[in-house]
Amino acid sequence: MLNPILSFSARRRMRSFRTMLIAAGYTLVLLLLAFFMMQSLMGSYVSIAAANAGVNAYAVLIVAQFALLVLIAPAMTSGAIAGERERRTLELLLVTNTRSFRIVAGKTLESFALLCLLIVCGLPVMCLTMLAGVSLFQILLGEAFLLAVAFAAACVGTLASALSRSTVLAAVLSYLMILAIGVLTAMPMILGYPQRITDVVYDTARYAELTPGGALKMISPVLLMNPGFALVALIQEETRVLNSYMEYREWGRILATWRMMDRAGCGTVALVSSGLIAASGFVLMCVSTLLVRPGKKHRKSGRK
Amino acid sequence: MLQIEHLTKYYGKFPALQDLNLEIGDRQLHGFVGPNGAGKTTTMRILATLMAPTSGTASVDGVNVVKNAHEARKLIGYMPDFFGTYDNMKCSEYLDFYGRCYRIGAKERARMTAQLLELVQLEDKAEEYVDSLSRGMKQRLCLARSLIHDPKLLILDEPASGMDPRARADMKGILRTLREMGKSVLISSHILPELSEMCDSLTILDHGHLVFSGSVENLSDMMNGNAPLDIRLAEGSGETAVEQAVTCLKELPCVTEILQEEPLLLRVRVDGGEDVCSAVLREMMVRGLPVCDFHRAPMNLEKVFMEVTQDA
Ligand SMILES: Nc1ncnc2c1ncn2[C@@H]1O[C@H](COP(=O)(O)OP(=O)(O)OP(=O)(O)O)[C@@H](O)[C@H]1O
Ligand SMILES: [Mg+2]
Repeated sequence: MLNPILSFSARRRMRSFRTMLIAAGYTLVLLLLAFFMMQSLMGSYVSIAAANAGVNAYAVLIVAQFALLVLIAPAMTSGAIAGERERRTLELLLVTNTRSFRIVAGKTLESFALLCLLIVCGLPVMCLTMLAGVSLFQILLGEAFLLAVAFAAACVGTLASALSRSTVLAAVLSYLMILAIGVLTAMPMILGYPQRITDVVYDTARYAELTPGGALKMISPVLLMNPGFALVALIQEETRVLNSYMEYREWGRILATWRMMDRAGCGTVALVSSGLIAASGFVLMCVSTLLVRPGKKHRKSGRK
Repeated sequence: MLQIEHLTKYYGKFPALQDLNLEIGDRQLHGFVGPNGAGKTTTMRILATLMAPTSGTASVDGVNVVKNAHEARKLIGYMPDFFGTYDNMKCSEYLDFYGRCYRIGAKERARMTAQLLELVQLEDKAEEYVDSLSRGMKQRLCLARSLIHDPKLLILDEPASGMDPRARADMKGILRTLREMGKSVLISSHILPELSEMCDSLTILDHGHLVFSGSVENLSDMMNGNAPLDIRLAEGSGETAVEQAVTCLKELPCVTEILQEEPLLLRVRVDGGEDVCSAVLREMMVRGLPVCDFHRAPMNLEKVFMEVTQDA
C-alpha cells in the first residue's frame, strides 16, 4: 500500500495555489534565461562566437536550476514535521501505530516529488540547448545531478523540520544547514588538500600513468559530496571553462583537484558525486526518524 | 475494560496526577470531571500512550498501555482537546487518510467512512473541505476519526467544549449510540451536570487527586446527606428574633455551621439525617421562634462540583 502520508500530503500540496505559482515562476525564470542566452542563435546569421551560446546556456540553466532548487526546497519542506507539530496532528499519526520512518519517508518523498515536478517543468527548457549542440547524454547527466540535489535538499529540509517546533524556525534552520553543508564539504578544497594529489598532478610521468579510476579515488569523498563541486564537474564536461586556467601552477591545490577531476572524467565525477549526495540525503532522512517521537516535543503552549 | 492503578505523573517537580486508581467496566460511559488543571488531559494522554507516567500503570482489556503501547493503540480511540485537522483536505479523505494509517483495507475503509459520517451526521459534508466546517462539525469529524479503527475504548477529551446546546444534545445522542454499539467511553468535561445526565459513573479530579468516584446517584446521595438547612423567619420579626434563633441553634450540638444569607434567612449545616433536622425544628418551635419556612436546600450538581473541588 502506498504510503498514505506521501499520497495525501501530495494531494493537499497540489490543491494549493502556491504550488502552481511556484512551478509557473520556476519555468518562467528558466525560459527567460534560455531566451537571453540563446538570442544570438535566433537570427538568420549566426556568428562563430554565437555557436558557443548553446553550451553556455546549458551551464547557466543548470546553475540556475541548482540555485532555485536550493532556495525553494527549504521553504517547501519546512512544514513537513514542524507543520504536523504545529497542527498537533503528529500525535494523532503516532497513535495510529504509524512508524516514525514511515512518517519521515512519506514527508521527504512528498517534498522530493514536488521538486521533481519543478525539474520536469525545467526539462523542456533544458532540451532547447540541444538545438545548439548539447548532447542528450549531457542533459540526462544534468538532470540526474539536479534530482540528487533535490532529494538531498528535501532530506535536509525534513531534518530541519523534525528538529524545530515551528515552520518558520524550520525554514531558517534548513537554509543554515544547507549553507553549512556547502561550506563544510568544500573544506578539503579551501583548507589545503593532501600533498599526494599535487605530487601526482605536477609529476608528468605519474600523471600520465594515472587511470581514470585511480584519479577518482584520489579525490576526497568529502569534496565529492559537495554539490558545488559536482556542478563544476558537470559544467567542465560540457564547456571546458576551466581549461584556460589549468596552466597556471600558482592556483595550486584548487587547480590540482580540477585536473584530477578532468583525469577521472568530469561526467563520471558528476555522476559519482550525485550518487554520494543522494546517499548522504538518505542518511539524514534516517536521522530525522529518530527525532519523531510522541511526547518528546509536547509542551503546553498557547492553550487556554 | 480499563484499569488504572496508582497512576502518578510529575512534570518536573510539579505533581499533575497523584496515585489515581480507577476501574471502568465494559459498555460504560464514564465521566471525568474537574476544574482547569485538574489533570484530566494528563491522564488521558497517558492512556492514549502519548506520554509515560512517572509511576503506576493502566491497562485496557488486559493490555498494558505503558509496556505494550503498540497493542493498546489498536484498542483505544483517542480524541484530544484540539482538532488536529489538515487544510486542503476533504472530510471523507480525512477519515480515509487515518484509515490508511491504521492499515485498514480499502473496502472496509470505504464502509467505515460512510458509516461514521452518517453516525456524526456529516454525510452531506463528505465532499467539503475540513477547513470550511464549523467548530461543532469539526469536533464531530474528529470523533469519527477516533472511531475509524473500531476501538473498544474511546477516550474523549472535552468533546463538547465550544458546542451550542443543540450540538451538545446531538453529541449525547451519539455517545449513547456508541454505548449501544458496545464501546466503553471515557469522557472529560468541566461541567458536571452535563456529564451526570449521560454517564453511568463519574470521577471527579482536583489538583491531581481523585475526589470522588462512583455512580451519579451515589454522588447526589452523598451530597444531599449534608445539604444545608434553609430557615426563614417570618416577615416583620425584628433583629432580636434573629439573634434568638442564632443563639438557639448555637446551643444545639448537631449544628456545625450557621450562615446569615439574608437578614431573615439562615443557612445551617447539621450533622446528621432527617431525624436531626426535625429535632432542630422542634427546638425552635418550643422556643417560640417565628419560623415560616424550613427546608433542606436541594443540592444541584453545579453546587456539588464547587463544593467537592474547593477543599481538596
Ligand atoms: N507538558 C507540561 N509541562 C508541565 N506542566 C504541565 C504540562 N502539561 C500539563 N501540565 C500541568 O499539569 C496540570 C494538569 O494539566 P492537565 O492538562 O492535565 O489539566 P486538565 O484537567 O486537562 O485541565 P483543563 O480543564 O484546563 O483542560 C496543570 O497544572 C498543568 O499546568
Ligand atoms: Mg484538558
